[in-house]
Amino acid sequence: MAERAPTPARWLAAAAGLLLLVAAPAAGGPLDGPGYTKALACSACHGQGGNSRTEATPVLAGMPTWYFKKAIEDYASGRRLSPEMEPFAKMVRQQGVDDVAAYFAAQPREKLALEIDRAAAARGRTAARPCAACHGEDGYGDERRGIPSLRGQPPGYLRNQLLLFRADRRSPGEPALVSVKAMLKSFDDATLADLAAYYASLGR
Amino acid sequence: MIRLTRRAFLRSSAGGALAVAGLSGCRTGAGEIAPTAARRVVVVGGGWGGATAARYLRMADPSVEVLLLEPSTRFVSCPFSNLVLSGVRSIGTLTFDYRGLRERGVDVRHEPALALEPDRHRVRLAGGYLRYDRVIVSPGVEFQWEQVDGLSNARDTVLHAWKAGPQTVALAGQLQDLHDGGVVVMTVPPAAYRCPPGPYERACQIAWYLKTRKPRSKLIVLDANPSIVSKAGLFQAAWRAYPNLEYRASNKVVKVDPARREVTTEFGDTVRYDVVNLIPPQRAGTIAVEAGLVGNDRRWCEVDHVTYESVKARDVHVVGDATIGLPVPKSGTIANAMGKIAAVNVANLLNGRAAAPMAPLNTCYSWVSDREVVAVVNAYRIAGGKVVQIEQKLTPGPSTVWADHAVAWATSIWSDILG
Repeated sequence: MAERAPTPARWLAAAAGLLLLVAAPAAGGPLDGPGYTKALACSACHGQGGNSRTEATPVLAGMPTWYFKKAIEDYASGRRLSPEMEPFAKMVRQQGVDDVAAYFAAQPREKLALEIDRAAAARGRTAARPCAACHGEDGYGDERRGIPSLRGQPPGYLRNQLLLFRADRRSPGEPALVSVKAMLKSFDDATLADLAAYYASLGR
Repeated sequence: MIRLTRRAFLRSSAGGALAVAGLSGCRTGAGEIAPTAARRVVVVGGGWGGATAARYLRMADPSVEVLLLEPSTRFVSCPFSNLVLSGVRSIGTLTFDYRGLRERGVDVRHEPALALEPDRHRVRLAGGYLRYDRVIVSPGVEFQWEQVDGLSNARDTVLHAWKAGPQTVALAGQLQDLHDGGVVVMTVPPAAYRCPPGPYERACQIAWYLKTRKPRSKLIVLDANPSIVSKAGLFQAAWRAYPNLEYRASNKVVKVDPARREVTTEFGDTVRYDVVNLIPPQRAGTIAVEAGLVGNDRRWCEVDHVTYESVKARDVHVVGDATIGLPVPKSGTIANAMGKIAAVNVANLLNGRAAAPMAPLNTCYSWVSDREVVAVVNAYRIAGGKVVQIEQKLTPGPSTVWADHAVAWATSIWSDILG
């Protein structure tokens, strides 16, 4: 195969191609993608394109489809108790959870628009050592084992979920979660808040 | 007799033709405000439905010129405004401007739409006309003052505080000025009205305020309806904390006498007050009524459940509290959802695409004290072109957890509406 020298014109063409590649996702707005008509109403609480702006509501932008679908199933079945999300999870299921999951997975995740307590995050980094066995050193989780990423969710949301797990009110009696819930019982409320701040601080 | 030359005749008929064309909406006609894009959508009303629609239309199709007509330069949230009456929140925390919409390319004009002329595809302003390809009308509610004898002449002193703003602040002031031991009377209008649980949340807030600040005072709630219209069990449970609250169902107020400080029910009972909060019966905003968008009830606008196009006028879409016929409450979340759906489908229709079936959803939080909240949630789907409810769910009882969620909801949805 003959190698061709990169002429200025080719460089320019390559650069333009690269620009297009870079520009394509940026041009994609929250109303693009086939699932948006099914996800349109969600932004009232979950923010534009699933970029939540509040402590109580999780970020859905960029969420892996497998975890989104699991969450919808858990809310619809009551394994995750939420008077708000139970009806909406049933709504998503009726509309087609695959489309909605794909929509949110494709949305670019913005920087979390919430204050994070840096001192708490630093303490949480130390406290999180036992969590790494399952969630990984950087909190990315492991899809093959059904372990979700904890990164970049609102600290208030993460703290609430930790409290619910510790009280066995989320996925109650789930065998796979018995040991992690036992471990959480050794953490006080302040440590759970530190853990939440740490994982929230990691970004996507 | 004036004899016209052939030339003069031609000139005058050309002028006449131009004048006629102007009246029928020629873009170059007198009084026309020239469009800046090939297609223009006018949004009438910058509340929860209209502001959302304007923003989402710019997202759905940035090539469309979007003009929003809203007389007020400030957006004041009705949800959470009952907390101003109890002093838990200030009105400033509920007040926003329209900068976000402008930054997103919406041409926000702070002037009233004087009339809607569907046959001519135009909206009349004080200084001319705006032609549109489609119009989204979000007129909110207007009060039926005439339904309560004596109310029309007492609008400045007998307050409704049902559109958040100066009246909210004024009613809070009246409550603050009340002597300990005074009687507050509030009335609930007959359904349908804006925000079904709103009056009962307000009763909680006034009762909480009196209990903590004026413990010898009491609140009498005169409800035109046979029972609590929304979240009945949750409110009844919450009211157990307020022995100072007296609730009277089926007590429609038909007369107010500010000089004697008393209201009269349809059964002729009179109730004396020191402070009154009279929430009048309601209908769709006046522009919708005058444009013939309301049905035989002369109150509300029937719409297509997928496009929100009026059943009465082509290319006119109606969203928010002014609509009727869908199994949804007149709530802020619903108005926000309708605004989005209408915007996306207006963009679809302008571009020759089919309308997409999209269901709204509802969350509605009510503050039953200074820190506890109850909620109702409704999920819907589209079946056979109609909105059908999948499920309604209530919170089990009052909690500070739902209060956190309520604050999150408000923060998020205000941003969703206004950018």
